[in-house]
Amino acid sequence: MEPMEPQIETEVPAKESQPDPGAFSSSAEPAHQERRKRARRTWETPPAPVPAPRLDDYRGIVGAADIDELRFLAQELKGKTVKMVNSTAVGGGVAEMLNQLVPLLNEVEVQTNWEVITGGNDFFEVTKAFHNALQGSDYQLTQHARDIFLMHNEQNRQRVQFSEDVVVIHDPQPAALIRARQQSPQRWVWRCHIDLSSPNPEVWGFLRPFIEQYDAAIFSSQSFTRQLAIPQYLFYPCIDPLSEKNKDLEDSFVQQVCDEFGIDRSRPIVTQVSRFDRAKDPVGVVYAFKQARKYVDCQLVLAGGGASDDPEGAAVLKEVKEAAGEDPDIIILDLPPWCALEINALQRASTLVVQKSIREGFGLTVTEALWKGKPTIAGAVGGIPNQIIHKLTGVLVHSVEGCAYQIRYLLTHPDFAKQLGQNGREHVRENFLMTTNVLRWLLLFRILRAGGAS
Amino acid sequence: MTATATSPIRTPAKPFYFNTSAHLLRITRQKANTLAEFRAALRECPEGSIFQHSFRTLEEHHFIREGFSNDFAHWVLSACNEPSLAEGLASVDVREFTSVAELRERFVRIVENFLQRTPASGSRIARETFYFCASDTVIIPTSFVAHTLREFAEGLRRIGVHCVYHHFIEARLRLKLMSNDFSQWLYEDMGLTETARQLNRLDIYTVTLNDVREQIIRIVERALT
Repeated sequence: MEPMEPQIETEVPAKESQPDPGAFSSSAEPAHQERRKRARRTWETPPAPVPAPRLDDYRGIVGAADIDELRFLAQELKGKTVKMVNSTAVGGGVAEMLNQLVPLLNEVEVQTNWEVITGGNDFFEVTKAFHNALQGSDYQLTQHARDIFLMHNEQNRQRVQFSEDVVVIHDPQPAALIRARQQSPQRWVWRCHIDLSSPNPEVWGFLRPFIEQYDAAIFSSQSFTRQLAIPQYLFYPCIDPLSEKNKDLEDSFVQQVCDEFGIDRSRPIVTQVSRFDRAKDPVGVVYAFKQARKYVDCQLVLAGGGASDDPEGAAVLKEVKEAAGEDPDIIILDLPPWCALEINALQRASTLVVQKSIREGFGLTVTEALWKGKPTIAGAVGGIPNQIIHKLTGVLVHSVEGCAYQIRYLLTHPDFAKQLGQNGREHVRENFLMTTNVLRWLLLFRILRAGGAS
Repeated sequence: MTATATSPIRTPAKPFYFNTSAHLLRITRQKANTLAEFRAALRECPEGSIFQHSFRTLEEHHFIREGFSNDFAHWVLSACNEPSLAEGLASVDVREFTSVAELRERFVRIVENFLQRTPASGSRIARETFYFCASDTVIIPTSFVAHTLREFAEGLRRIGVHCVYHHFIEARLRLKLMSNDFSQWLYEDMGLTETARQLNRLDIYTVTLNDVREQIIRIVERALT
C-alpha cells in the first residue's frame, strides 16, 4: 500500500540500502561540508519502538477537560466492539495511525481489534495500480485485475470473522470485504485516506458499488471526496504530539543537531522538510530563497529523504543541488526515514517553515511545523488550506515569487510571524492531534449507533 | 464539585449542570466555485451547514482574536477577493439570531444585494472551492455541577472552551432566546439580573473564547463580592 502521507518517515529501506551517515548531501563549499561531517550517530539504525502513550499522557497537552470529554463520550460505548481492517501492519501512515489509535480506543473500553488483510504480490500490484489510478494516474483496468482484486478480497472474507458492532475498512484494498456484511445492526465504515477528487473513471466505477454499500465514508479533506449516496464525514489526519517527531526537545539537542549539520542558529533559518519529490517543488523553494535573500539574510535548510532508494528522488536531489549551486547558505540534507528526532530538531530550530508543494496529500509536515509554533508558508494545494487559514494560521502561496515575498515579509515582521505561529499551534491542538482523532471515532460510533447521519 | 464555602448570594432554585458538545463534520453535496453558485448553495444547503459555517466555526477557531468571523466571509475574501462582500458577511453576529433559518436569510440577502450591485462578480471563478459541511452533534455531560455562585465561578475556571461555547454561544439556538445558558441561570435561578445582562453583552468576535471565559469569570466574581 502506498503511504497515506508519503513523508520520509514512512518506509524504512532494507538494511543494505541504508545510507552512510557521513554521506548526506550538501551543496556547500568544502569547508562547510567538512564542518558538517560528523561522528556516526544513533540514527544510523532505526530506533526501538516507543510504547504507545495512554490518554492521560495527553492531559498536559490538550487539557484535562478534553480528556475527560473523551472518557464521558466513551461511556455509552463501553463493551462495544470495533474491527479496523487495512492492508499493512508496518510502514505507511495508516498503519502508524492505527498503531496509536487502537490502544487508545481499547483504553476507553471500546474493544477494538486490528486485522491486516493478506494477499500475494499479484494482489498488491493491482491495488498499488488502483491506488495510483484513483489519484489520477492513467491506467487500463483489465478483467484480470478485477478478478485478482475480488479473489483476494474473497479469500480474506472467508478467513476473517466480522462479528463486531462496527467494521472499519481502510482504503480501497479491502473495500470488497463489505460482502461479509451481515443482516444485523452491524455498521460498516469505509475510511478513505487518499485523494479521490480526480479518479480514473474505470477504477472508480468498479469500486463505487462496493463503497455505496457502507453506512458511511470518511475522507481526509473536503476536496478529496466524490458524490456518494452515503453520508461522508471529514476526519483530518493527525499527528501525535508525544511522538519522536513532535515531542518537546531540549534546546541543547536542537543546538547539537544544528551544529552537526552546520546550521548557524544566530541567523534566520528557513526550512522545508519533505521527500525529494517534484510535487514538493524543492527547486522552487531554492529559487524563492535566492530571491528573498537579496533583501534579508537567511539560510535555507532542505531536509528530506527518498533519494537513496528512489531513482526519481535521486534525480530531483540532483536538480536541487544544481539549483543551489555553490551557495554555502543552502543546506541540503538527505536523511534516512528514522531521523524523526533530527527532523523535529530542525523544525524547532527554524525561523520559518516552508512547504511549497504543488501537489499534496494532507501535508502532515505542515501540521508538524504549526504544532511547533512555526510561522509557515505553504502551497494552497491538497489538505494544506484546511490547516493554513491565510494570514491567520500561516500564509498560502501560489508561486515562487509569492513564496519569496512571504519569506521576506515574515522575516522582517516578527510580531506578525509570531502571532501566525501561535494561532497555528492552537489550530493543530484543536483539530489535528491524535486526541481529536480519538474523539472523532467515538463520535462516529455514537452517531452510527443512534442510527447514522441525519 | 462539592460546596466549599457559603455563597453570599441566594441558593439557586436548581443547580447549573455544565455540559459540553462535540461535533463531527459531515461533507454535504453543496459546493461553490463562483459567487452565483455560492448564493444558490446558501439557499439550498441544510440548516446544519449554515450552523457549521457560522456558529460552529467560532468554536473551531476559538483561539483567533481578530480577523475571523465566519467561513463564508473568509472564503469570499481569500478565494473570491471581494472585500466589501466579505465585510458584509463578517459583520453578521450569530448572537443576533435564535434560529438558523433567520441567519440563512441574512446571509442570502447580503450576497444577493452584492450581486445585484455587481453582477459581473457572480460568474468569476474563485481560487478555491467552498465545500459546504454540516456537523452531527453529541451532547456530553461534564463532572462539574454548581450549587452556588461560588461553585459556578469555580466550574467556569475548570471547564474546557467547548463547554463555554456550548453554553454561551450555541445555547441561543436551543433556548430560542437572545440569551445564553449562563445568563439564563443567573437571571432565573440566582436573581442576578444585572450580572446576566453583563454576560450577554460580551463581544465574542474580538477576543478568543478563553478571553471570553476570563471576562465571564470576572463578572461573576464581582457578583460574589
